[in-house]
Amino acid sequence: MADLTLFSFNAGTTALHDLDVRVKTGLVCMLSMTLFFAGFFACLICFLALYPLIRSQGLTLLHLILRLKGFLLLLIIMAAARAVTVPGEPVFSILDVEITRQGLAQGTLVAARFFLVMVIGMLFAVTTRPADLKSAAQWFLAPVPFIPEKRVGLMISLFLRFFPLILAQAGQTADAVNARCGSFRKNPVRRIRSLTLPLLKKTVMAADHLSLAMTARCYSENRTDPAFNPGGKERIFLIAGAGLCLGMVLLSRESVRMIFW
Amino acid sequence: MPDPILEIDHLSHEFAGGNGIHDINFQVYAGEFILLAGPNGSGKTTLIRHLNALEHPSSGGIRLYGRPVTANLMLTRKTIGMVFQDADTQIVGDTVAEEVAFGLENLNTPRAQIREKVDQTLSRINLSHLKDRNPATLSGGEKRRLAIAGILVMDPEIIVLDEPFANLDYPSSRHLVETICRLNRDGQTIIVATHDVEEVITLASRLLILDDQGHLVRDGFPAELLGCLDRFGIREPCFSRMGYTAPPWQT
Repeated sequence: MADLTLFSFNAGTTALHDLDVRVKTGLVCMLSMTLFFAGFFACLICFLALYPLIRSQGLTLLHLILRLKGFLLLLIIMAAARAVTVPGEPVFSILDVEITRQGLAQGTLVAARFFLVMVIGMLFAVTTRPADLKSAAQWFLAPVPFIPEKRVGLMISLFLRFFPLILAQAGQTADAVNARCGSFRKNPVRRIRSLTLPLLKKTVMAADHLSLAMTARCYSENRTDPAFNPGGKERIFLIAGAGLCLGMVLLSRESVRMIFW
Repeated sequence: MPDPILEIDHLSHEFAGGNGIHDINFQVYAGEFILLAGPNGSGKTTLIRHLNALEHPSSGGIRLYGRPVTANLMLTRKTIGMVFQDADTQIVGDTVAEEVAFGLENLNTPRAQIREKVDQTLSRINLSHLKDRNPATLSGGEKRRLAIAGILVMDPEIIVLDEPFANLDYPSSRHLVETICRLNRDGQTIIVATHDVEEVITLASRLLILDDQGHLVRDGFPAELLGCLDRFGIREPCFSRMGYTAPPWQT
């Protein structure tokens, strides 16, 4: 799993890879929403339940921390901000800024929730092909009136397909600018302009070519519906996921009561 | 002589800044291998984009089996497949198989039939082993062959290729020439637009030359027109320049 990046699909044959993308999307939504009011213990249970799935992708806790280190730094800043802004019983103070017990508890809890949401998102991204994501979006949007689900599906697919291409073009443009000493310019506006204008032009031209190529291949919205390939373990995952969410809600009754009542 | 598939009749396309194409007339017959040659800016791309109604002419017209190409756009685009110069900006699928399936999905073909035809086409173009690969990871030549497969799967009568050898290394060009040659031998009508005729001139059955003003100045057998290529800004092939007879390029 050396090549695993945060949001890139890695081909594989694990149970998560084989899981129907609609079930996977549903489980991600369900777990993310449950985490919104999960307490410490519920977060711990959630992590323990997710850990075998993390291991199935060839990752250990250390790998996970290393790969999410940038994001973890953000979580620490977020937790620290909570620790100093939430009023309560002071634990200690630095330069007249009081850090409270309640603030520390809330900050850590929010950071733990975000961390788990990030882990769930990563597991989803690593085991889901972009094309399946497009198919799932199309399937979920189909019953919604006034939304052209096939067009939305194609937009998602094109975005996923062309985003890396645009990034590569940005890199090439930056290299071309730097090769002519563009990096020595002090004025940031001029530097941004020399990068963005050619990039914008290239992107618009690429979009124009793409649109022509799609038209030439008879693009229409009345297209063949996407195919789904259920792996056969969808029911087990759904029941396990629902059970986990229910358990987390029961363990977090206090938070649920505070939010809803 | 059989009826032509495609008739280009006094076709002109004017651009505000000049150039464009002017009063183009020719017919395309089944099984032909037409080489459309001309220097940069001569209007090759503009001309071929009119063939499947991606551009609208200023005057004149194009008929497909006797009917204007604009009469039934779906039929026109299914009959005349277009392979663009930059493969990267025309590939929309996440995998090779999905990319090939795109055209059939647009035609609302049943899924089972799509799978069958995609497998057949990939095998025909020798890309079956790359079926599940991300197109972004393919070589330039493989991407160009994938673009052809994406068109071929729709069973076109004519395949039009715009500068197919641009930015390709020698082995990729060879593979591509072999692919195009095999398709033509199987009865596929081919039109190749290029500024460098070296690779395919010995395979073409007909050579059309556009000058830098967008006029069709020659239409004939390639062997008879070799001597006048330089005059219109197109490099004469090496074998002809050195006084040799033309061997098939890919052998």
